[in-house]
Amino acid sequence: MDKYIVGLFDDDEVLLKAVAAVRKAGVKIHDVLTPFPVHGLDTAMGIKESRLHTVGFIAGAIGCISAISFIVWTNTVSYPLNIGGKPFAAIPSYIPVTFEITVLSASITMVVSFFVRSGLSIFKEPRIFDERTTDNRFAMIFDLKDVDAGKVKEVLKQTGAVEVNEKNFES
Amino acid sequence: MAEMKYWKGLEEKEINSVPLQSEEFSESLPVVSELGNKIETLTSSRRDFLKVMGFSVTAATVAASCEMPVRKSIPYIVKPDEIIPGVANYYASTYAEGGDYCSVLVKTREGRPIKIEGNKLSKITKGGTSALAQASILGLYDNYRLTKAVANGEETTWKKADEAIIAELEAIQAAGGKIRIVSSTLLSPSTKQAIKDFIAKYPSAKHVTYDAVSCTGILKANEATFGKKVIPGYRFDNTDLIVSVGADFLGSWISPVEYAAQYGAKRKLSKETKTMNRHIQVESTLSLAGSNADKRILVKPSHEAVALTHIYNVLASKSGAATVSLSGLDETAKTELTKVADELLAAKGKSLVVSGSNDVNVQLVVNAINILLGNYGTTIDLSAYSNQRQGDDAEMDALVSELGSGDALIVFDSNPVYSYAKKDAFKSALEKVKLSVSLNPKPDETTVLCKYSCPNHHYLEAWNDAEPKNGSFSITQPTIAPLFKTRSAAESFLKWAGIDTPYYDYIRNYWSQNIFPKQTHFASFDMLWDRTVHDGVLDTQVAAETWTPAAIDISAAVAAIAKNAGAADAVELVVYEKIAIRDGKFADNPWLQEVPDPISKITWDNYVCVSKKMAERLGLKQALSKINTSSGTETDLVKVAANGYEITLPVIVQPGTADYTLAIALGYGREVASKTKAVGQNAFPFLQANGGSYSTVIAGATIELVAGSYKVAQTQMHHSIQTPMEKVGKQMERRIIKETTLAEYSANPYAGNEDRKEIQEHLKTLYPDHEKLKRGNQWEMTIDLSSCIGCNACVVACTVENNVPVVGKDEVVRAREMHWLRIDRYFSGSDENPSVVFQPMLCQHCDNAPCENVCPVAATNHSSDGLNQMAYNRCIGTRYCANNCPFKVRRFNWFDYLGADSFRKETIFNNEHDVTEMSEDLTRMVLNPDVTVRSRGVMEKCSFCVQRIQEGKLKAKKAGRGLQDADITVACQTACPTHAISFGDINNKESEVYKIANDERGFKVLEELHVLPSITYLTKVRNTEKSEA
Amino acid sequence: MSAYESQIREPLVTGSKDYHQITKDIVRSTESVPPLIWFLITGFTATVMTIGFIAIGYTVWMGIGAWGLNKTVGWAWDITNFVWWIGIGHAGTLISAILLIFRQRWRTGINRSAEAMTIFAVMCAGLFPAIHMGRPWLAFFIFPYPNTRGPLWVNFTSPLLWDVFAISTYFTVSLLFWYSGLLPDFATIRDQAKGKIRKMIYNKLSFGWTGSAKHWQRFESLSLVLAGLATPLVLSVHTIVSFDFATSVIPGWHTTIFPPYFVAGAIFSGFAMVLTLMIITRKALKVEDYITINHIESMNKIIILTGSIVGVAYLTELFMAWYSGFPYEQYAFYNRALGPYWWAYWIMMTCNVISPQLFWFKKLRRSIYFTFVMSIIINIGMWFERFVIIVTSLHRDYLPSSWVYYSPTIVEMGIYLGTLGLFFTLFLLFARAFPVVAIAEVKAILKTSGDKQKREQHEPVANGHHH
Repeated sequence: MDKYIVGLFDDDEVLLKAVAAVRKAGVKIHDVLTPFPVHGLDTAMGIKESRLHTVGFIAGAIGCISAISFIVWTNTVSYPLNIGGKPFAAIPSYIPVTFEITVLSASITMVVSFFVRSGLSIFKEPRIFDERTTDNRFAMIFDLKDVDAGKVKEVLKQTGAVEVNEKNFES
Repeated sequence: MAEMKYWKGLEEKEINSVPLQSEEFSESLPVVSELGNKIETLTSSRRDFLKVMGFSVTAATVAASCEMPVRKSIPYIVKPDEIIPGVANYYASTYAEGGDYCSVLVKTREGRPIKIEGNKLSKITKGGTSALAQASILGLYDNYRLTKAVANGEETTWKKADEAIIAELEAIQAAGGKIRIVSSTLLSPSTKQAIKDFIAKYPSAKHVTYDAVSCTGILKANEATFGKKVIPGYRFDNTDLIVSVGADFLGSWISPVEYAAQYGAKRKLSKETKTMNRHIQVESTLSLAGSNADKRILVKPSHEAVALTHIYNVLASKSGAATVSLSGLDETAKTELTKVADELLAAKGKSLVVSGSNDVNVQLVVNAINILLGNYGTTIDLSAYSNQRQGDDAEMDALVSELGSGDALIVFDSNPVYSYAKKDAFKSALEKVKLSVSLNPKPDETTVLCKYSCPNHHYLEAWNDAEPKNGSFSITQPTIAPLFKTRSAAESFLKWAGIDTPYYDYIRNYWSQNIFPKQTHFASFDMLWDRTVHDGVLDTQVAAETWTPAAIDISAAVAAIAKNAGAADAVELVVYEKIAIRDGKFADNPWLQEVPDPISKITWDNYVCVSKKMAERLGLKQALSKINTSSGTETDLVKVAANGYEITLPVIVQPGTADYTLAIALGYGREVASKTKAVGQNAFPFLQANGGSYSTVIAGATIELVAGSYKVAQTQMHHSIQTPMEKVGKQMERRIIKETTLAEYSANPYAGNEDRKEIQEHLKTLYPDHEKLKRGNQWEMTIDLSSCIGCNACVVACTVENNVPVVGKDEVVRAREMHWLRIDRYFSGSDENPSVVFQPMLCQHCDNAPCENVCPVAATNHSSDGLNQMAYNRCIGTRYCANNCPFKVRRFNWFDYLGADSFRKETIFNNEHDVTEMSEDLTRMVLNPDVTVRSRGVMEKCSFCVQRIQEGKLKAKKAGRGLQDADITVACQTACPTHAISFGDINNKESEVYKIANDERGFKVLEELHVLPSITYLTKVRNTEKSEA
Repeated sequence: MSAYESQIREPLVTGSKDYHQITKDIVRSTESVPPLIWFLITGFTATVMTIGFIAIGYTVWMGIGAWGLNKTVGWAWDITNFVWWIGIGHAGTLISAILLIFRQRWRTGINRSAEAMTIFAVMCAGLFPAIHMGRPWLAFFIFPYPNTRGPLWVNFTSPLLWDVFAISTYFTVSLLFWYSGLLPDFATIRDQAKGKIRKMIYNKLSFGWTGSAKHWQRFESLSLVLAGLATPLVLSVHTIVSFDFATSVIPGWHTTIFPPYFVAGAIFSGFAMVLTLMIITRKALKVEDYITINHIESMNKIIILTGSIVGVAYLTELFMAWYSGFPYEQYAFYNRALGPYWWAYWIMMTCNVISPQLFWFKKLRRSIYFTFVMSIIINIGMWFERFVIIVTSLHRDYLPSSWVYYSPTIVEMGIYLGTLGLFFTLFLLFARAFPVVAIAEVKAILKTSGDKQKREQHEPVANGHHH
């Protein structure tokens, strides 16, 4: 049995202030759920910057190099053909395909790693703390394993939560 | 090793040695390496074995269970020595049909004739061929041929047929009935002998020679003038000046291939020879000869004769002979003709005047002119006279009138019910007679009406001989066993004459008795025979007899001519023969139907040609808009009536047609014709009786516009090389064709081609080191625009050699004809009387080929020996290559034209696009096994006959020598009667193509695009005066 | 995130919405049973689509001969339609990617359906390169897969091959971009859902999205980078399509101006198609508060810009033809304007160059009906642009001997109609099953661009925050 406390807010700016206050009070936030991306929330929560774009860059680079080298290999080593009197390695005319492969590999890798790292998949049965968190409520979640219920509720009151509920899930 | 060259002797070392592996495939075959390094490391476990076996068993079961078409392939039990599968054999033979003569080599594969080539040993055709000769091969595999003797519509055995026929003949003979044999001109002395023997058996028999388009006029005129009823041997190659009055001697007149060869020889220009003869054509419609003339004088049909008399007058007055007076000619023509006469005088003895008229009186005037000019003995040879037209119209008329119910009629190699002017009269005569026998090989208008038909062999199945010109003999030898239970016509005559000698022995006997004595070269007859069978031709010495001309009654002749001379504004009809269809005998050959007329570029139809003025008078809106917009297929329909006969035909505005003139082609409207029923209308009944001969010029014709419109299948619209930008009032010249005049050319060999230097200077390559790929053999071609007469023999040759599909009229209307090689025709100058230039256009095998760059799957790429090659089975048919081809020579298989992947005709999946019926087993036998049959959705184009190149390479390799120029000849090159096309290795400094490509006249089409075409064209040179140019 | 927005800017969300209201408005269409009219229209478009598929089947069975093409004109309606559809597709990517990078808030109202349109358009476009082949059953030859024929690879110098890669990449990236954007909104629908199955389905569609802060952070970074990639991609795609012609040797095709000219044309036609769809959608689904007249005006402004670029390109071509002094080039353009296909050229000129200039008038720019008519005119014009480029250049090129006239057959027309049917059928299904407006994104800009919120910012409520 996993026990959680869910503090609901109805305004993103209030939420932001609340998150800061809660952290100052030294209470560990389990997660924050919002219906839309709230800018500055990650910094307020002290979440590290995402490395997704780095992944994208590396994938793109690999795609680019392998594409151009593959094309050159096919036309010079594997099966050289005289096409329209061009040299076997007619690099300029390989640029378009190389570019497309670069973009393709970057995008696919990024999206895949996004899903993997975020653990999102069609098989995922997420824990719905409050159905309004995708509508008009901003939820701050506390895991009772590492916080004390009373303290949390008090802090939430002060920081302007419109509701405070307890939510339990079968583990 | 790659750099080492092996050589057996110094002479060999000089020439570029045995082709090294590295040269032959500059890219080593990848497959080898693929296996090479794996083969020994391959391992397979028992599991693999079971897997594979399991699969193959299932696969086999599945495959076996579904219906497979039966493909018979039976190996030789005893292989004939001369037949090596995959290697072609060539046999010398002779194409001689209805007077048309061509000495040929027949290419056979696995004992199956697949191609006709010209025989270079022939002194007459000099290796040239005609479109008809090229296409004749399809007739052999025609699934509409008669397969056995037929009696009263029932198939029967030869024995029964012979018994019945002999019985009837004897009965008729006994009852004193007439027996008549009607045949077209026979060139075979042995066949004639056989007929003589037949007549000997049946004395009441008579042989009448009948030509659909006869030369009675010439025969009679020469009979009158020289006491010899012959057609003289014309020597165009001895002329400095040719004046042809309405004689299309390059297209259809008497012996076009022979004349074309002579003509081409006399007009060939090179670094060495810078002179050519001059050719003036006086005519009413634009004929092939006329389109090649240096000067063309336009007169209406009936005035051609008048023009001749005018020329005669001028000559006579200047050389003190009797002059005559004849009016009617318009002044401009008069003055021009006077000039012509002066030119003739200047070229006395080196000139030649010919006329296409079939009127004895006109031909008498021609004789008079040539006598005045002293051309006999120089440009006209009466000793080596021609046998190619022997028909006498008068005899035919007599025959038709004399035949009665008790008589017999044997029709041989002729089809009068279709092609005789009074065909209905003949028909009724035929239906009247007691016994009627046809020897024609196919059911035609006449044969279907005959009681018996005893089908003749196709000439490729039979022994025969020919004497096209006095003293020149040639042999026809069988190249395949008769496909059906047919019998040589001569043999039929012999049988009925009670002679049982096989025709082969009969010919040998005839030769040993009659021809062997005529020569001294061979000691024994067997030597002569073997040699002749090998060479195909035998030339015996002809004693040059002296011919003293009788006095010609010019005034009488002119009086007769005057009667026919029409008024300037009287509408006259002239019927003519097309180069491919001719008298319609082979109108059922799709290859010939698809050949575009060289002038009008129309296929699959005959039509009325009129001048632009005439069209405007008649208000032929569609016909006019057709030439103006040059983007339509619809034209007007007109009803033409003359000589008590009328037909409705499409009409086209043909530049170069005289005003008040209608021209209609003969040979169309065959009602009983296997593959091509009902194409066009029959124009033979128009032929007008005129004093013992039939005239192709018909007076008192009427034409009226009929409601409705008609689609004509034209492969090229009427464009002049100048593309008018009329709406912005600006002429824009395309330098596709280059021409000049002889005067300018002899002054400056680069005349007309001056801009080439500049263009070449602008050509820069981005990839200099890529040039190294151009080592080894590099195949190139040269085409001399001065030599090309536009006869289309090459087009048909290419079609036959490369299994090029015929698409039929509807598809040509949609501009989808498949010819790999086409002859572009461009006009320049006035609409009334334009100059014409022909440009054979085929894949240019560009070294920087635009088509190669754009193919996504590399189905078209460049071979190491400079060919732009197509990998058909790789092609997915995006058509991008065709779009990007500046020459538009690529052809796409829109449908399954050759039945390559369709079912047979009978099945429910009937493929109506298979016009040649190639899905029939019999017809398929004509296909060249060395050339892939392209399937639907595949792009194709000229391959420079790559199969012949490979054959040549292997020949050289087997002989262990380098390639020689003669090893490889391409189909179009061999077919050309004027040798306009050369082909070979440009890297071989000895090759003909190298020499010609570096001629001052050499240029490349669209050279400024830097696609580096491999075909060099030579500037066209016209022998015109400045004023005419 | 209360970035202050100037009052001069018109609000992008009208009707005094709050977060919940937005959710309700957008989710509504996915919850209610579609009206009869929807079934009628969808039935109609589906029928048209079927006709198209029959025409395709006929072509494959009979051969390309079923079309009007000939020895000289090897491409006509097939590639015209291909380029036309691809062009239309571009607007979606442009709106979602480029406008995202330029932080154009007004994109949020329309990007979802614009992207959907892109994907459907690319599907229609992709059809043509496949079926225009003489032997479509061998289409797999265009992929460089290891094989036993050498191995024989493909020709990487062929623009047609570049197309294959460009189109497939473009389709994939657009799809990923679009779908990842849909996740939060699917989650919203899931959480609004009553029925169990409905919940289950939308949960699967949302990949179990909850809106966790960390996910949002990755989500943002993903969409930003994807946008960054999609921007050069969208430019490259039509550039490459233009290479099909620009790299050839045919007068009228061989033109260096093509890449920018094609891209501008693509955006031009794309925006027109977006307008056609939006104007219907906002009415049908009652989302006028999210797709406002301001959105439409902004798009019309882009139409004037791109339309003018296209116009300048046409004139430049004519000038270059004259200036080149190359007779073949000169004739090609003379022939376009005054040759047998003059009518096509002038339809193109009128629809693409002259008519869009009317958008200089604010009144017309903000008129729904005028915009709707114009959007259709422009797409007709852009279809003819491609037709003119392809057919009039081919039918009369270098050698007059090969000049012909082309006219289409019923089969070609059927296939084109079929793709229109396919396109609209897919969009109609999308409009009922998917959130047609990006819910999360609209919420994100509500404070800055909502009408109510703007008012409050202007005259702040006395007691500051309302709680």
